[in-house]
Amino acid sequence: MPNTTSSTKKQSAEQSDSGGSAPKAQRTKIVKSNDDTEKKNVVKKLKDVEISVPIVYGNMAFWLGKKASEYLSHKWTVYVRGATNEDLGVVIKRAVFQLHSSFNNPTRVVESPPFELSESGWGEFEIAITLYFHSDVCDKPLNLYHHLKLYPEDESGPMSTKKPVVVESYDEIVFSEPSDAFFSRVQNHPAVNVPRLPAGFSLPPPVPIEDANKRKRGDTKDNVLSQWFTNFSEADELLKLAAARQQVQAHIAKLRRQLSVLDGQQQQFKSTSDQ
Amino acid sequence: MDAKDILGLPKTPLTIPQEKKSRPPKDSQRKPDGISREVYMLTGGLAPLMPSLDVSNLKRRPQSENEKITWQWLPFTNSARKDNLQLYHWVRVVNSVPPTGDYSFAVYNKSVDVIKYTDEEYEKYLTDPEWSKEETDQLFDLCERFDLRFIVIADRFPSSRTVEELKNRYYTVSRTILTARAPSPADVSGHPLVKDPYNVAQEIERKRALSMILSQTKQQECKDAEVLAEAKRITESRMAARAAEESEFPATPNVGSEGTFADTVSPFNLQLSSAAGAPISIGDNAFIPASLRMLRVYLRTYALEQMVQAASSSAGLRTIKRVEQTLQDLGVNLKPKVPTKAVCAEHLELRKEILTLLNLQKQLQYKEAESSSHRDNSYAETPDTPKRPNRIGDQDRTFVPDSVSFGGERSGKRDQKRKGTARISEGPSSPAQSKRARKLKSSDV
Repeated sequence: MPNTTSSTKKQSAEQSDSGGSAPKAQRTKIVKSNDDTEKKNVVKKLKDVEISVPIVYGNMAFWLGKKASEYLSHKWTVYVRGATNEDLGVVIKRAVFQLHSSFNNPTRVVESPPFELSESGWGEFEIAITLYFHSDVCDKPLNLYHHLKLYPEDESGPMSTKKPVVVESYDEIVFSEPSDAFFSRVQNHPAVNVPRLPAGFSLPPPVPIEDANKRKRGDTKDNVLSQWFTNFSEADELLKLAAARQQVQAHIAKLRRQLSVLDGQQQQFKSTSDQ
Repeated sequence: MDAKDILGLPKTPLTIPQEKKSRPPKDSQRKPDGISREVYMLTGGLAPLMPSLDVSNLKRRPQSENEKITWQWLPFTNSARKDNLQLYHWVRVVNSVPPTGDYSFAVYNKSVDVIKYTDEEYEKYLTDPEWSKEETDQLFDLCERFDLRFIVIADRFPSSRTVEELKNRYYTVSRTILTARAPSPADVSGHPLVKDPYNVAQEIERKRALSMILSQTKQQECKDAEVLAEAKRITESRMAARAAEESEFPATPNVGSEGTFADTVSPFNLQLSSAAGAPISIGDNAFIPASLRMLRVYLRTYALEQMVQAASSSAGLRTIKRVEQTLQDLGVNLKPKVPTKAVCAEHLELRKEILTLLNLQKQLQYKEAESSSHRDNSYAETPDTPKRPNRIGDQDRTFVPDSVSFGGERSGKRDQKRKGTARISEGPSSPAQSKRARKLKSSDV
């Protein structure tokens, strides 16, 4: 199974890093599978559990101002980032950006986080972004579509070289029935929303998150563009929805009252006409 | 002969510069000359709706100066005709030299070379217990006359033979003669008649299947579509299950025929098998999360879309539109900007509540109409009920519900409209009017 092999590979890599021996990791693994008689040689799926990864995807475009020529008016960056700018590399292995066919090599592959791509041009078009995940996460890719935006809407004023045009969408990648390997790997990762497991679930101990210093930084917290990132507030959205629901519920109650009044009247009518 | 001939333009096809017009977002490609960048951006580099003429073509003198073109009413004969009929038409004459050569459309008169057999050949190769020589001769006469239009031939054929029988006889005879006359079978192996022999059984089956589809009722069609959708779902679920190597996947009763579902089984068989078992309800609410779970990875917004669809599956298109209108009136985005799990759940609940609200409004309207008709009846029956004055007030209050108060101007307008129509539909029998009339009467008395 690809999932187990990948996790053992990671484990063994760590072991050798920290001076431990790879066979040791192997042995513990075997012992565990002997203990757990239920554990078959297949990937264990966690039913009724979903792991979600909040992401933001979109583009940022800077007008080149005086330097702009007719066909080279904007410098832009298209990206997929974590909603809180955490490193998405824990889940996403590779991102493929499909650009307009007039670009050189329109299929651009970004193999490591941050998953972003910068280009320059003057035309707006739709960019298909295909996300590939690590083998223990999901073997199916996921498609996103983003319409590259370079020119500001009328109401936001004229083009300026200082302020970029930013168009971002918030979404969440949802993994239903994740493998337990994936679950335990990302359990404590800030980029991932992991539910609390119901009682009775046993999991292998969480794999320690690799040392941040050793890794190449994949988060977008100190990104040059980060000052322009859109702030997506769940609380605002929930407040708005709650207010709307309140209004609707009040209205429903009112209508129910009117209906019951009407019913009562009809009863009255019937009785009076019977008399 | 077309407008270009008459205008005397050269017969070159319109060359819309495809290369140039395709949209270049980079400097590697150029916009066509003579168009300002702004105009070019407006059209988006797409080919124009109307075909455009190349300007240089219009400016150039189409003919050299010494060419003199006239149109003349001239006689012509058509080599495709055997009767030498002479007709007249307008012809383009260059420098008063009328065009020579055959009528230009004569080449389109194609005819079929129907094979002719001699009596000896018939005796030797073509005897068939089902076909007499006379009948065969007749068939070949008709084939020649009607250029193998077998439907017409079958219509004219004296004895009753099906189109397939006629075709079969014709092609068998042609093939036999062809192979008999050829010096070796290899010489004619490439001939279409020999290479692809006519298959009667298949043709009959094909027509039977076609007529079956044609005679299907709408209901059957719907049912078939449903069954096929169901089958597709089952195959997909099985594939997903197999991919995940999961044995605990809930087995469906259609297991046996599952393998053939995808393409080979005809809808009729499917109908039977689905009637036998598999009480799977399509459009069930539980179906959506299951199908999502099978995806293993999806976007939250996609899940919300599916759930919204499932929740409003029972409602009509107009109701769905009204739900969305209400959402907008409430200042809520039709699609949440931050679709977290909680936001999506709330959004879904809100939509459900709005549906309830709309249903209640409908009920109320209905009840009001009912009660007002009740009132009419009761007036007719008991014209002198003392309680009447009170009820006028009641009625006015209930009849004009100040509903959708949150909706602002828009829904207010809609309400008024509804009120208006309700009043019109009530027409002259409006209780208020009849009441007043009666009141006058009673005071008169």
